[in-house]
Amino acid sequence: MLSMKNINKVFKTDLVETHALRDFNLEVNEGEFVAVTGPSGSGKTTFLNIAGLLEGFTTGEFSLDGVNVSNLSDNHSAKVRNEKIGFIFQGFNLIPDLNLAENVEVPLRYRGMNASERKRRVESALEQVGLGARMKHLPTQLSGGQQQRVAIARALAGEPRFLLADEPTGNLDSLMARQVMELLENINQQGTTIIMVTHDPELARRAQRNIQIVDGQVCDFSMYQPAATGTR
Amino acid sequence: MLHIKPILSSLMRSKSSPILLLLQIILSVAIVANASFIINERLSLMQRESGYAEEQILTFSVYNFDPSIDNMKQNQVDQQILRSLPNVIDASYSNMLPLSDSGWMDRYVDGPDEDTAKSTPGFAFYLGNEHLLNVMGAKLIAGRNFSADEINTGLDDSGMLALVSQPLAKAFWGDESPLGKTMYQGTQTVTIIGVVDKLQGAWVDHENFEYSVIQNIDFGGSSSNKSYMVRALPEHIKGLEETIRKAFHAENPNRVLDNFQTVAELRDRSYSNHRLMATVLSIMVVLLLLITALGLTGMVMFNIQRRTKQIGTRRALGARKRDIIQYFMVENYLICIVGGVIGGMLALVLGQQLMSLYSLPMVPVIYPILSVIGLLVVTTLAVIVPAAKAANISPALATRSV
Amino acid sequence: MFFYYCDLAWRSIRKTPMLSMLMVLAISIGIGITITTLNVYKTMSYNPAGDRSEVINSVQLWSQGLDTWDEFSSNMTYTDAMNLRNNNELSFKAATFRTGLAMQSDNPKIEPVLQSVRVTDRDFFKIFSVPFLYGSYWDVSVDERPAYQVVISQKLNLRFFEGKNSVGKTVFLDRKPYQIVGVIEDWNPQPKYYDPLNGAFNDAEEIFIPFSLTAQEEFDVWGNTSGWKFEPMLTYNDRLLSEKVWIQFWTELSNQEQKQSYLAWLTRYVEQQRTMGRFTDSAKTPSELVQISHVEKWLEDNNVVPKDTRILVGLSLLFLSVCLVNILGLLLTKFLKRAPEVGVRRAIGASRGQIFSQYMVEVSMIGFIGGVVGLLWAFGSLTALHAYFEVDQSLIGLDMSMWFITPLIAISTAVIAGIYPAWVVCRTKPSVYLKAQ
Repeated sequence: MLSMKNINKVFKTDLVETHALRDFNLEVNEGEFVAVTGPSGSGKTTFLNIAGLLEGFTTGEFSLDGVNVSNLSDNHSAKVRNEKIGFIFQGFNLIPDLNLAENVEVPLRYRGMNASERKRRVESALEQVGLGARMKHLPTQLSGGQQQRVAIARALAGEPRFLLADEPTGNLDSLMARQVMELLENINQQGTTIIMVTHDPELARRAQRNIQIVDGQVCDFSMYQPAATGTR
Repeated sequence: MLHIKPILSSLMRSKSSPILLLLQIILSVAIVANASFIINERLSLMQRESGYAEEQILTFSVYNFDPSIDNMKQNQVDQQILRSLPNVIDASYSNMLPLSDSGWMDRYVDGPDEDTAKSTPGFAFYLGNEHLLNVMGAKLIAGRNFSADEINTGLDDSGMLALVSQPLAKAFWGDESPLGKTMYQGTQTVTIIGVVDKLQGAWVDHENFEYSVIQNIDFGGSSSNKSYMVRALPEHIKGLEETIRKAFHAENPNRVLDNFQTVAELRDRSYSNHRLMATVLSIMVVLLLLITALGLTGMVMFNIQRRTKQIGTRRALGARKRDIIQYFMVENYLICIVGGVIGGMLALVLGQQLMSLYSLPMVPVIYPILSVIGLLVVTTLAVIVPAAKAANISPALATRSV
Repeated sequence: MFFYYCDLAWRSIRKTPMLSMLMVLAISIGIGITITTLNVYKTMSYNPAGDRSEVINSVQLWSQGLDTWDEFSSNMTYTDAMNLRNNNELSFKAATFRTGLAMQSDNPKIEPVLQSVRVTDRDFFKIFSVPFLYGSYWDVSVDERPAYQVVISQKLNLRFFEGKNSVGKTVFLDRKPYQIVGVIEDWNPQPKYYDPLNGAFNDAEEIFIPFSLTAQEEFDVWGNTSGWKFEPMLTYNDRLLSEKVWIQFWTELSNQEQKQSYLAWLTRYVEQQRTMGRFTDSAKTPSELVQISHVEKWLEDNNVVPKDTRILVGLSLLFLSVCLVNILGLLLTKFLKRAPEVGVRRAIGASRGQIFSQYMVEVSMIGFIGGVVGLLWAFGSLTALHAYFEVDQSLIGLDMSMWFITPLIAISTAVIAGIYPAWVVCRTKPSVYLKAQ
């Protein structure tokens, strides 16, 4: 499903070179729920940006869904993001001027989908996160947990092959966090691959598989955290 | 202490927005300088004294269309009628009307031999009788007016006398008095007997506008179409048209009276293009300053929003309110002055273009300088409000994570 | 997708009403001023001859002496006009000047009116395609042997004959009877290209009488008479024999060959006149003393568009560019503020092109609104010009084309102003803005 081989990412300024990722290797299989942890500055965000095709990398090979996505053009990677990847952010990142339905609709618009198909998908996505009755509300009228569920609906509406979640519960209290987590697990059970970045070991433990990034490299979970390898 | 250096380096680092401001100020200075120069030039044109009692002179034309009318006699009768009307101070025939955009031009030469004689500049050529000077309200500053028995009726009569305007006398004779000089027109001689202080011609844009001559010919008998000037106090002018129409038609109905206008009205019309130009350009300048000011305010507000946290930090580190205001003012003045200098140079280049394309005079350097000063004032007004707002940002903001 | 962008644009415009209003204000004022001056310029520089501009030609002769005038006069002497009229090589030719006469009819109840009158030849009507309502121009023989015939306007016909066909009836011009041979339809070319010398935007004359009557009727000249040497005009005959210029001469030359052959004829004519002591400017060769000008050149040479108008057009375009820079700054401000939203859209899969299009639609919309408001400004300022400055009515009508040109200029101004901000914002790195806000 997702395969990264020897990925290096170097940020260069006039004075210093920073190796955000070095010889980074990762295989994620279809249907997996992977939690990524690590101290801040370890390269988590860089990994997520590369995995989400938001950023390029310096050397290495990255293939997604069996397709090599190294060095895609900007337009092409936008298309891949739109069709194959769903994003969930810590800050929800809903567009404040748009109501819920319109927010969920955004990726479908960019896919050039016709109006009736859009309507069907928006409704079903919002139903799935339990907000079907609030389609006309604006994001500011909702609680944080509800906003995050809208963001999940937006990610789902495009029917992506996998979801990238960046601290999805970071801004939420524990009750809401649990609800969001359950929702993600449901989605995973329906076959969507999920990669979640978090620093909360509690949450990480609920994933099928844990990996840790330290200094831009994957630390083998089997060596350090054998207990975390759960089975479904 | 103005701390120009850090402000400058911060400006250099943020690329687009100061450059846009700079560009806008450059263009504004270039436009405002040229426009205000043209405005000023037009206004000074319009302010020239004509030398006429403008408000008191009513002019009109008569067309005697009955072929049996003896124009020579009719001209005399008509002028008698005009002078005997109530409230009329004086009246005279004139071959042309001052500041009317149509008239006669001619020139004299100073000797009988056309090939060797020196020619005067072209001048407005008024023909009229001994009353004309009084009707015009023009001031004789040397010599004398014509007397009644000196008035000719044809261009080929002998005994031609002339009154010349002071500027014409200065231009041709310098400091020498023109009185008594004999000038030539073909085979004819003209003696100059008087100098008039000011006597403008018909075309306000003509370079020889101030050069005029009145010659002692009452030419009103020469054709059926003629114009008269009647002098009365301004309060009497209004009813005069009706009175004149009645009196003329009572005497002979076979004529058309037309074009009743005071010299003030003629002047108004003659200068209407200049007035239009001055007005349009003034409006442009005002709008330009307004738009520049509004744009500036908008941009400063945005900058402040973007730098809210930075301002809060500065405040937390001990900057006073006036330091914050000063920061924005200095930033603005820096842009303004740089823009002003470049804009001023552009204004001069633009002025040069206008000069070569439309033979306008060159823009004096003072105009760009004044424009920059004006712009500094306007931008001060535009910046001070948002800057004061910025100074009110709470230092506590620095500690928040937003 | 376009409608989606329109919807987004409208929301965005409404979301920041002050900023949007500022932009619309800036663009509309710039447009208002530009369109006002452009409209006046366009009307002034209009060529009423249309596709006949090349065909209709006026003739100028350098009849002045050495070191006098330094350019061709638009007028010519009576002598030359008569000689050119008598040249039978030309199929259409008309000498013309303006006079004024008092008009009356048999009906004593209608007051006489002093009318400005065009004295000309019959070909004038053909050359300038004057449309007739009743009758026609006078017979060709009238141009040779004068007859008291007249062509009047529809308006005068309405006034004196209640609009009925008056051909054959008599009117009195300066108490002389003239027989009406034709009534023309409304005809008032602006600028008055057949005689722009006395007010290029004055109305056309409404009475036309044969040029052949000039010598015997001694019509006053309501126009410029210019001389370059001292020649007293004591009688009308002095005028006719003088070197003073006061008559315009028009002809039709349909191609380059005809023009060349006519120029050759004119050159021979000048050579012949030189043997009679005329055309005394010895610094020039005969071929340099003749010129034919098609309508375009004629309008240009007679300064139909005043230089003030050109200056105003130039300055207003500069003004518009200031507005453009102004809007550019405001747009940049506005768009950069929305960078986080762009980040989200980019992450969700919008391509740069899609983001760019979205913002271009928004600026176009602002431009369009600005254009509409600007059109109102222009309309208002043109009306004000007419009310306060006696600017001719014909100059202030908003030209039809302006309804298209205005939004076009407005939108392109906005688009030019918007390209850079939209480009900057569409290049937003999606990852930068996605972290916790």
